[in-house]
Amino acid sequence: MSISTPSLLTGFLRKNGKWGFRNYILILPLHNALNQLAEEVRVSHPAQTVITSVAHDWSGEIDSDWDRIHRVFSGFAVNPNVGATIVIGVGSAVEEEIVQAARAKREMPIAYLTLKDSGGFDNLRKLVAESVSEVFPLVTSIKRESAPWSAIVLGLECGGSDAYSGITANPALGVASDKFVELGGTSILAETMEILGAEHLLAARAKTPEVGQAIIDVVARYERSITYEGIDIRGAQPSRGNIEGGLTTLEEKSLGAAKKAGNAPFTGVLDYAYVPTEPGLYFMDTPGHDIEQLTGFAAADVNITVFTTGRGTPTGSAVIPTIKAATNTEMAIALPDLIDLNAGTIADGTETLAEVGERIFAEIVDVANGKLTAAERGGHREFNLSRLYGSTQ
Amino acid sequence: MITGYANNSRGVGIRSLQLILPSVVCSTHLSKKVAEEVGAITFSHQHGCGIIGPDVAGVNEFFVALAGHPNVQSTLVLGLGCETIQGNELTDSIAVKFPQTRYVVIQESAGMAGALELSVAAARQLHVKSPQAPLDHLVIGVEGNPEARFLDGFGDLVTKAGHSLVIANDFKEPSRNFAKLVREKAHVIASFPDGNQPPTGLPLIPVVTIANAQSLLHQALIDDFDCVSGTSPEQLLEKLFVVANGEASKAERNKIGNIVVPRMVRSV
Repeated sequence: MSISTPSLLTGFLRKNGKWGFRNYILILPLHNALNQLAEEVRVSHPAQTVITSVAHDWSGEIDSDWDRIHRVFSGFAVNPNVGATIVIGVGSAVEEEIVQAARAKREMPIAYLTLKDSGGFDNLRKLVAESVSEVFPLVTSIKRESAPWSAIVLGLECGGSDAYSGITANPALGVASDKFVELGGTSILAETMEILGAEHLLAARAKTPEVGQAIIDVVARYERSITYEGIDIRGAQPSRGNIEGGLTTLEEKSLGAAKKAGNAPFTGVLDYAYVPTEPGLYFMDTPGHDIEQLTGFAAADVNITVFTTGRGTPTGSAVIPTIKAATNTEMAIALPDLIDLNAGTIADGTETLAEVGERIFAEIVDVANGKLTAAERGGHREFNLSRLYGSTQ
Repeated sequence: MITGYANNSRGVGIRSLQLILPSVVCSTHLSKKVAEEVGAITFSHQHGCGIIGPDVAGVNEFFVALAGHPNVQSTLVLGLGCETIQGNELTDSIAVKFPQTRYVVIQESAGMAGALELSVAAARQLHVKSPQAPLDHLVIGVEGNPEARFLDGFGDLVTKAGHSLVIANDFKEPSRNFAKLVREKAHVIASFPDGNQPPTGLPLIPVVTIANAQSLLHQALIDDFDCVSGTSPEQLLEKLFVVANGEASKAERNKIGNIVVPRMVRSV
């Protein structure tokens, strides 16, 4: 595929020049006491599929994770797949800071409604529902238009890996990732634990020596942060599910996981939930925890994700369509409503790596254009505020 | 006189709840669907996988404490299959003490539709409303920081009536203090939120909330509190008895608040 190939993509062009492949109204609670209220408003609206919401544990506490919490909430609120956001809070200076940061990041409708101003849960529920109705015609009037390949900000994820991951779905996703990068798109590899042992191979593909060193440093920092807790990461990983899936060591898991990023050169390294500034392939420092990674992607303007899985997992994001690629045919058949695409055919000998790579590329385009993923059909909206609890990053 | 429910070997509780316990974030969505379908309680959380060090035992023990709470009648554990906290082992450690426990695992249930069907059937089979029974000894959790003089008077009153108090005020946020009261098996909670915190409950233990008269936030939300400050110890105890006897507290009625699982170490 050459760069001159006309884009088959359509999306929603935002005022900041970013593209969305979904067009949600997001209800974002900033206190766990408001989780239920956010969900009640979402499910009570007649056009439920346009509205999304999340739930989390945070109740406004400020600690050493504040920067991270602030970055995730404000970034999540303005993900390009969101057309308007209704932030609901208790009514505090801390919440206002998050809302202001979100407004500074992107020009879009962002309402902020609070318990304090509304005088109670019942009235707030009513006000949030009214706010949804108010913004609804505006958001739904935004139409899809033809989008350039650079619109793609692809998140690469794996979870529930098995011995097939590194030879089927991950390298096939790498083929698709390489194509998007070549066409001017952005692709982000993440999960620092899952490149531990493979970092030297990735660093060798860095565009500059500084980027190469940053990849090495981020892995070293991660290992320090875990040993700081007095824990040998190699004793906890691979996980029991990975071992049952046939993986023997963390290094083996890492070598397979890194294949998701194909062979393109690395343009840069991002801290957790930081937005890439130019197209290219990036590495983002995230936990391997599926949902912490997905939430970090969402806060970093990722607009589509492919999630390879060997054991099968149902989870998805409230704002990013998440395509599940099975690493083996047996699981793809056993858990049909979790899986969008089977890459196990490579091990079966019925398809080549390049063919499955093409299929993943086409699926990404289809999903970007509006095809629903298994996780979206299932209503999955998992969300997690990633915390460090005082460990050194 | 409090009439509760004889929740099998968990003892007498003031509710007879079925707990749908997701052993990992990946099964929380399914748990919610099952709980809605059968009228059980559940909660969303982000734990169970990618945890290391003290959190592995800590999260596991907290899950066991939830399942063993006296307000619970039975527990359905829902797992994904490949997570750090192995649902079958968690289920076994609960079932040793409480046989009214079942386990469904998504990866062995032909997918989400299959898992939903199996879970709903298992939950219905497990659910037997416990018989009513007198509760002679009520364990009252006190969350937050009421005035010392009030607490002294309230403590005396509770002890004289043959009940007991457990206090949790390590954090400013009620939802973080509730974990201790779960472990201490409080039947009911009197919560005195910090002036910057809204009234909050949790799905497992009915929470009676008391507003702080000095707080502008609490004044604005006064209708969402059960009591205002200035309530006497006698009036508060009376309210707790009424809730213990079955009346829903405001947080319970409005379904405000979640169960927050304590964590110590970052995810890997």
